[in-house]
Amino acid sequence: MSLAAIINLNHPASYVHWGFFQMSVSNLVVIILMIVVFAAAIALPFPGSRRRRSRS
Amino acid sequence: MSAAGKPSWTARVREAGVRAMPPERLLPDTQPAYMSSWIYVFGVLTIAALVIIIASGSVLGLKGPAWWHYTGVGHFFNSIHLWSVELFFFFMVIHLWGKFFMAAWRGGRSRTWMSGAIAFLISIAAAFTGYVSQQNFDAQWIATQAKDGLNSTGVGAFFNVLNFGQMYTYHVLLLPVVVIALVSAHILLVRRSGIVPPLPLGELAIHSPTADPTAPGATGSAA
Repeated sequence: MSLAAIINLNHPASYVHWGFFQMSVSNLVVIILMIVVFAAAIALPFPGSRRRRSRS
Repeated sequence: MSAAGKPSWTARVREAGVRAMPPERLLPDTQPAYMSSWIYVFGVLTIAALVIIIASGSVLGLKGPAWWHYTGVGHFFNSIHLWSVELFFFFMVIHLWGKFFMAAWRGGRSRTWMSGAIAFLISIAAAFTGYVSQQNFDAQWIATQAKDGLNSTGVGAFFNVLNFGQMYTYHVLLLPVVVIALVSAHILLVRRSGIVPPLPLGELAIHSPTADPTAPGATGSAA
């Protein structure tokens, strides 16, 4: 049994254009996702860190 | 000890190794309190992705292009290899951002920073040679597009992206050896110098070499 892709990939890639700037939507999604994960890694509390801080 | 009473070269190498990397630094059982943050997990996530890359790539290499193109299990391993590479770069870039913004080269850690930066650049070359080694139209398209750019730099004489055998050798042997060596050196340097502490608060403290408790000659103690 073959599994289909979650989204239809059977077409040329979509691109965003902004003046001289051009990038595929898939690359843009990955970059935005990296920024979101980076921000979340800084903002979200690490398990156990609060307990350790209150003990000290 | 040799017959002349002088330590043999193996003893000298062993002693130098233990001096440079004491066992309690090589395999520590505690970690600094400031590491209680998600930003510190992206280095080890990058290494975990690299292990999956090497394991799935080894299977692909042993089975060959016909297997990874025409069988269900081959497609599966091909996808595992691709997505572990995607995650490798995803985690490595977040690790890079985190270390850049905490100025991780402080306190005598410049070699750690440089080994990581070079590993990142070599990894890009390793990924590129993988794209042109797929043995499909995608690989042909990438290779024919890349050849003009690479030839214009003068490397085309010994780095021919249209030569599958050459690209495959770079991808499965030469560049992985360099990446693994650099990552190993990077980890050993991290163990030797310790994880970089967060930046001290206040501009005066940032510019003071003694503000970094791990800097050579600093009076403070590391957390």
